[in-house]
This record gives sequence, C-alpha cells and structure tokens, in this order.
Amino acid sequence: MIRLENLTKTFSSFTAVNRISLEIKPGEIFGFLGPNGAGKTTTIKMMAGLIKPTAGDVYIKEWNLGTNPQQAKQLCGFIPDRPFLYGKLTGREFLGFMARLYNVAALHIGPRTNHLFEIFEMTEYGDDLIESYSHGMKQRLVMAGSLIHKPAALIVDEPMVGLDPRGSRLVRRLFRELCNAGATVFMSTHTLEIAEEMCDRIGIIQDGQLIAVGTMKELRAASGSQAERLEPIFFRLTGDEAMEKISDSLQL
Amino acid sequence: MKLLYPRFAQMRNRLKNRDRRMYGKTLIMGFFGILFWAAIFIVFYRVLAYFKGIEIVGAFLAAKLLSMAILSFFSILIFSNIITALSVFFMSEELQLVTPTPYDADELYLSKLAETIINSSWMVALFSLPVFLSYGIIFRQDAAYYCMVLLTLIPLFIIAGALGTAVALGLVKSFPARRLKDIFFLLALFLFVGLYSMFRFMKPERLVDPDIFITVIDYLSVLKAPASPFLPSQWVTDVLSAFLFQKQGEGPGFSFACLWSTALAFIVMLGWCFRRIFFDAWSKAQEAKSIRVKRWSFFNRVLDAVLSPLAPPLRALVDKDIRSFLRDTAQWSQLFILLAIIVIYLYNFSVLPLDKSPIPTRQLQNILSFLNLGLAGFVITAVAVRFAFPAISLEGESFWIIKSSPLGLRGLIRCKFWTNCLLLAVLAEVLIICSNWLLGVDRVMMLLSAGTVLLMTCGITSLGIGIGAAFPRFRYENIAQIPTGFGGLLYMMLAMLFCVLIVMVEALPLQMYLTAVAAGHPLRPGQWGIIAGSIFFVCALSAAACIVPMKIGLYRLSRIESF
Repeated sequence: MIRLENLTKTFSSFTAVNRISLEIKPGEIFGFLGPNGAGKTTTIKMMAGLIKPTAGDVYIKEWNLGTNPQQAKQLCGFIPDRPFLYGKLTGREFLGFMARLYNVAALHIGPRTNHLFEIFEMTEYGDDLIESYSHGMKQRLVMAGSLIHKPAALIVDEPMVGLDPRGSRLVRRLFRELCNAGATVFMSTHTLEIAEEMCDRIGIIQDGQLIAVGTMKELRAASGSQAERLEPIFFRLTGDEAMEKISDSLQL
Repeated sequence: MKLLYPRFAQMRNRLKNRDRRMYGKTLIMGFFGILFWAAIFIVFYRVLAYFKGIEIVGAFLAAKLLSMAILSFFSILIFSNIITALSVFFMSEELQLVTPTPYDADELYLSKLAETIINSSWMVALFSLPVFLSYGIIFRQDAAYYCMVLLTLIPLFIIAGALGTAVALGLVKSFPARRLKDIFFLLALFLFVGLYSMFRFMKPERLVDPDIFITVIDYLSVLKAPASPFLPSQWVTDVLSAFLFQKQGEGPGFSFACLWSTALAFIVMLGWCFRRIFFDAWSKAQEAKSIRVKRWSFFNRVLDAVLSPLAPPLRALVDKDIRSFLRDTAQWSQLFILLAIIVIYLYNFSVLPLDKSPIPTRQLQNILSFLNLGLAGFVITAVAVRFAFPAISLEGESFWIIKSSPLGLRGLIRCKFWTNCLLLAVLAEVLIICSNWLLGVDRVMMLLSAGTVLLMTCGITSLGIGIGAAFPRFRYENIAQIPTGFGGLLYMMLAMLFCVLIVMVEALPLQMYLTAVAAGHPLRPGQWGIIAGSIFFVCALSAAACIVPMKIGLYRLSRIESF
C-alpha cells in the first residue's frame, strides 16, 4: 500500500533523511520511532506531499506521489502533529470542506459528517467556530477530516498529542478497525507503549537512517536484547548515551 | 530588563544570520523607505520655505502646521499604542511562559510597556524626523533645537504609550481581548474612511478660489489660537516654537516640565493599575467563548446554490474563503474602504468643471476618459494589494491542508485568481463605466475603456496572486501586515508599471482616432495598422502579465517547505 524507495532529503549540507526504503502492506499499522531530530517528521512530510524529496520516491498503491500527486493524495489521509485549522469555519463546515476537497459525492457528505462527529463525540460542537475549540477538540476534528474520504492509507504524525485518555483509547480502537477493514496506518510516535501495543511492525530511524525494521520479535533479535518491552530494545538500538546523560542531569 | 532579553537576542540572531537574499530585500526596502522619507522632507521643506516668504501670516502658518503635525503624530501614537498594547500585554505567546514563573510584576510591566512604546513609536519617530529637520533647516536652528526635539518626543511617546496601555488594560478587564482587537481594527478603519471622505467632501479645491480670502482677519485669529493647553502635543509645540519662532516667556519651560512630569507620573500610576488588574484581565483574555453559527440560514442556501456549478474541490475552497472573509472583521471591514473609494472616485468625476476648460469639451471628455484608465488601474492595484495579494498567505498555517490534498497548488492558485479577478473586474467596470457615463464620452471610448480595464484587471490580479504566492507570509497577526513586506512592494511597482505601459501603448492610436474624429475624416489604412498593432501589443502584454507571475508564484510556492 505504501512504498518508500531510497527516500532522501537534504537541507543544504545536512542530510535529514538518508535513503530510506520501506514497504507497508494493506491492513498493517506501522510505527515509526526515533529520537528527536532523527528525521521522522521530515519523512512524514515527504509522504504527505508537503515537502519534496531530494531523491527517491513515495508510492501509494501504484501511484508515485512525485509524478501522480493527485491520484496518490486522493488515497491518503494526513494527520499532522499540530492541528492548524481554519478558525472561522465551524467543525461541520470544515468536514464539508475536506469532503469536497477529496471529491466525496455531495450525497455522502452529510451522513459521513454526522457519523464522524458521533465517533469523535463532537456532535454538540459541530456548529461552533473552530477558533473556540480546545487543542484536543481540534486534534479530533483533524482526524475526522482525514477520514471523511475513507482513505486507503493514513499518515499520522504523533496521533496522541493533545488527546485525553478517552480520546486516546478511541483513536487506538479506530486505527485498529481501519486496518481490519484493509486500510494502512503509518504513524510516528514518541510513546513507546503505544507503538508496542498498536503496531504490527515498527521502524526505528536515527540520524536520518532506518536502523531497524520489524515486529517486536524481529527487533528483539536485531538488538540482541531479551527484554519483553519495547523501551529497552529501543534504547539498545539507538544507544544509551542520551539516557545516561538525562539520569546524570537529574541527579545534580 | 531580563524579560526584554529574548527580544534583543532574537533581533541580534536575525541580523547575524542574514543571507544574501535578505540583504537584497533590506536594500530595496531601505531604498523605498529613504525615498518616502525624502519625499516628506521635500514637501515640508518647500511648504515651509513658501510660508517663510509670506509676510505677517507666514510664521503663524508654520507654527500652526507644526501644531497640527504634532497633534496628528500624537493621535496616531495613541491609537497605535492601544492596538499594540492589546497584543503585547495580552496576546503575546511568551506570557504563557512567564506567568507561571515567580516573575516580578514591576519588571513585567516595565518590559511590556517599553515593548509597546517601541513597537508603536519607531515608525512615527522615523517619519517625523524629516518634518523636524525641515523646520530646523528653514528656521536655521543649531544642535540645541535637535536635542530638544529628542527630549520632547521621548516623553510624548511615553505619554501616548501609557494612555494606550491604560485604555487597553481597562477594556480587556471588561471585554475579551480577541474581540476587542477586531473592534479597534474596525474603529481605525471607520476613522480612516470617515476622515478621508470628510476631507474630500469639504472640497479643498475651493481654497484656491480668490473669494475665500475675504475673511483673512478671521483666518488669522484662527491661526493664532492655540490648541488645548492640556494636550501633551501642544506642550511639545510650545517648546519647539520657542526655538523656531523665538517666542519669549515662561511658557516653554513650563511645557517642558509638564511633558516630563506627566510622562513619569503616568508610568507610576499605570504601574499601580497594572499590579491591581493585569492578572484578572490577562486571565479573562485566555477564556475562549464558544461561538455558535446557524446551520441552515438563508445565506447558506444562497451560497450553496451559487457555488453548485463548480467542481467540488474548487467549491470547497471558494466556500471556505467566502465564509472566512465574512466572519473575519479584519477582512470584511475592508469593504468600507472599497465603498469609500468608489463613492469618492465617482464624486470627483461628477464635480469636474469641464465647461471652464479652454480645450473643446468633446476632446477633453475623451482625454480624461483615457487618463481615467490609468487612474482606475492604480485604484485596482491598490485594492488588489488588500485582497488578491494576501489571498495565498491567508491560507496561513492551515496551508498543509491544501498542500496534502489532491487539489494541488495549481488548483489553489487558479481558484484564487478567478475569484479575485471576478470581483476586481466588477469593481473596475463599475468605476470605468460610471465615470465615463458621468464624463459623457462616446461609444468607442466607452468600449475601449471597458475592454482595456478588463485586460488590466486580469494582469493586476495575476500579478497580485503570483507575487503573493512567491512571497507568502503564512504567519501574521493581522491581514494588513501581509502586503507590508518586500513582495507587496514588488507587486505595487510591477502592477503600476503594467498600467503605465498599457496606457502608453494605447496613447498613440487614441490620439489618431481623436484627431480624425475632430477633423471629421476617416482613419487611413496605415493608421488602422498602428491601431491593430497596439491592440495586439496590449493583449500580448496582458497575457504575459497573466501567465508569467502565476507560473513564478507556483514554482516558488511549491518549493516552500516551512509553513
């Protein structure tokens, strides 16, 4: 469903993403992990068509995002980490806007909007201006907007930021249901527990390079760790230096 | 003043990290700034030199002009300080960082007051300098005068800053800050439109009528009368007049003392108010009130019906733009400027004394109609800088929605072009057809003007959208900020150049036509050739103005990676 081929991004002399190749199958939740500044958001922005790769390609199904952006983007939903929206629209108008932008037939817009408002527990706020929403509400609205055209692939940057525990549980269930229905979810997160619980496979990026990809079992084998949880495996793979520094500084 | 440190550090880093392109932009902006500055200086210098040459009333006129100029600066400063104080004291993001710390209220107050005063006053200070300089040169002043200008302006800025901040504090205590900013923006706009209209309808052209000078004694007595003695601007005038016009007495010393004592007293009194009400007011400014909108209104039904023929993504974009425009005070309030421009533009044509001119009326009507084309082009350019130029930037930080959607940037730019072009074309045609009708021009001139202005509008819109896309500003506090940068300046220059070129190309064939009509003989085949050539050139130029900026805008917009 999603294929990255030698994806590379350089900013002047700095290589943010270095020849990443990946393939994510339909029905899979793929977790994308890495320390701060590793290149996660840059990769996701290239996959969403927000920035242009310096080299390499992104494919959504058979469509190359670089050469057939319209077809590729039509299959995608994108959820950024910061929900910047049109403050002067109401939530309902925003969903209508997203539906039309993604060519949803007029007949389906009303029912789908109502359905998504119910799922995200926002029905009573649907006619309020977005500028009066809280951060969490905006995040829910962005998610609803990204799902209005029933995307085959969902690209998510930090899905749980700003969500309360109820919202977080809702999103976890929703992503699993989407994948059960055949969609693909590619999500970056800093929360290792969420990645461990939700993802079928996990990719770890460091200094712009993909250093490990696989299921929990495969990552355990790659790291040489026998730990049950993802956290020690992640630190083993990315190096413990940073953690040691944090411990030292807290003891001061 | 450690709270001001981040501001200085950011400014220093910006200066340190400037690349070559930034230097280029700064140079061009600086050049136009100096040009504007020089223009103010030349105008004041010539006016004052002229006043100095007039016996009896000359000095009074110069003094009155000084008083009016300082009063204008003071009024602008107060208004600007209210709006800046609302942003600095209540909407600044760093407050979220500072208020949870054990901050010193006095330090916060003084740093925010300093920031408000500096942000509101630097431009007035910069552009008031040529005024004071021209007075200094014409009335042969030495360094003492210039020192006194500085020593009187500083307390004036402080007083205006303190007054503006006091008003902002009081209002935010009673109303939410976000709505207040809208209200003040609207008030400022009404003030501008009101003053502009009032000035025009006062018919200043009558002042050159000799009959008006019958009342010269009354006029002199008005000139001599001082403005209110309680106004700080009058204190500055008193002090500077003592230097410029050698006025004797205790007045200037007293005024100088009034200025500084009032400024210092205001700082202390405002600090006292700040400590008592700031936290309450700031807390209130954070409250987000839900704003409910009716779902099935008549307006929605009309909008749905009007936009239904469009393809869904385009319909989504236009629908979103219209709703955002009508719900954003900073945007819809600009319609008042538009209305004032149309009314005054047409009014000017209705009062033209064509019958008093030595040129035959018929010929004069056509010449004026032709010049009207250029004027209408400038007006459309000025309107487009408020509407078309910011169109792409208005997507703001939500630009990711469009960029990640299947619509694409080409679709976005085309959609913005057509919506803006349609609205501007209606305005342009209303201006041209109505003014031509008031002038009573013939049918050929009417058709030529209507056709040319349509082509001009397409070119001007494309320049606005294209250059606006090439230099977008996705982070802004107010829509009025968007065209104030390098892109806005470039757009204005190119759009005006485009209008001038179109008018110049059409001038020769029009002259041939007018001459032939006046002589009563038909045009020769060679002349028809020139007319056809110029029409072709106008069409080609308009096509280039329509295509090239949009292509450049699209290219540059697609390369922008941070928004």
